[in-house]
Amino acid sequence: MIDRSPKPPEALMRAIAQDLRPVKPSPQPLQLALRMIPLALLVSSAILLAVGPRQDLSVLGPFLTWGASAAQFVLAIALIWIAAHESIPAGRLPRQIVYAATVAGFLVVVFVTLLTFSTSPVSAPLVRVPPKVNELLHVSPWITGFACGIGSTVAGGILVLFFSWVFRNSLATRPTVAGALYGAGAGLAINAGWRIACPFSTPWHALGAHGAAIIATVILGGLIGRHLGNRRLHIGGRRS
Amino acid sequence: MSEDQELRDVMIRYQGGSPEAFEEIYAQLAPGVRRYLAHLAGGAEIGDDLLQETFLQMHRSRSAYNPQYAVRPWVFGLARNVFLMNRRAARRWATIHESREDLPEFPVLPEAERLGSQDEIRRGIASLHPDQAEALLLHHEWGFSFEEIAGMLGISAAAARARASRGMADLRVALNSLQRTRA
Repeated sequence: MIDRSPKPPEALMRAIAQDLRPVKPSPQPLQLALRMIPLALLVSSAILLAVGPRQDLSVLGPFLTWGASAAQFVLAIALIWIAAHESIPAGRLPRQIVYAATVAGFLVVVFVTLLTFSTSPVSAPLVRVPPKVNELLHVSPWITGFACGIGSTVAGGILVLFFSWVFRNSLATRPTVAGALYGAGAGLAINAGWRIACPFSTPWHALGAHGAAIIATVILGGLIGRHLGNRRLHIGGRRS
Repeated sequence: MSEDQELRDVMIRYQGGSPEAFEEIYAQLAPGVRRYLAHLAGGAEIGDDLLQETFLQMHRSRSAYNPQYAVRPWVFGLARNVFLMNRRAARRWATIHESREDLPEFPVLPEAERLGSQDEIRRGIASLHPDQAEALLLHHEWGFSFEEIAGMLGISAAAARARASRGMADLRVALNSLQRTRA
């Protein structure tokens, strides 16, 4: 038998009455993750449209180019799906799944990097830029590392900002974790596109520059998630 | 119509802008949520404060509810979330634990009633590991399934079952030793 006697306090009812506009129910985690695909695909492939794919595609073959990137992209969407679950009060997934997906993301990036390097060890490629720039890149390869790191961080940052907007009403118990998860998703999605465009395959470049960009998006997502969580707490009103 | 389906329909009306629907949800869920918060916070007074905040948060985040979710676990999960956020913000976990000495409103499990007096059961629950006590109460006191508890706590259903079961076993041991001490 349901106890229907308690009435909400007047102060609470007043606060409720201030904003009673109809709202649209949020989508389920899978729907939400699937809705992220078009934008993630667009931002991720922008670099391919800008500079074109790497020149050793024929050496790598379709499995190591499109296949490996597709796997990273699917994993990115899975991480966003987990972040969406983490944002529901009663829909959280077991911690083991969260940790396993995070470790899987890390391992896939390392594995693909090493496999790509062992198949096509390109350390001084010819980039589609003026010869003088190519010469400069050969003398100072760190410039390319810097460009890839900054470029993919900016692209990943755009995705993280978009995901943060989507997750702005998140009710995550651990908002930093939820933010870090969609940050990791953004980083992996961007890397899926950049690794096909980037002409270098050395592990120091792929893990140093591209890996740093993924870590940056994880940190950015975590910080934004934490900020949104704190803001929600302050909106709540009562502080003691 | 089941209680759960009834609540989902009320929630949809509430999302549509009905203040009566909010009152109905409050009437149905507030007593249980209040006791749950009192258990988590270790005091009825803190529990009352957090109850208001829980329903305020629910209102502000009402769009985050999807009619596919069962309402009770969603609101209880939100209450837990509010408690954890407040605990984090106020950094008074130690104070909360200290306040458990006065044995506030711990619910008395129907299954445990025959094992001892209400006071003994409260003492027994207070002596349990917090994770076990929470799973035990969520299942036996508030009637959540292990799948629902798993979603609220971020653990597997098997782990939720194990926590509740270990909690009940430890409670029996605690009650036996309390009774032996008394005898």
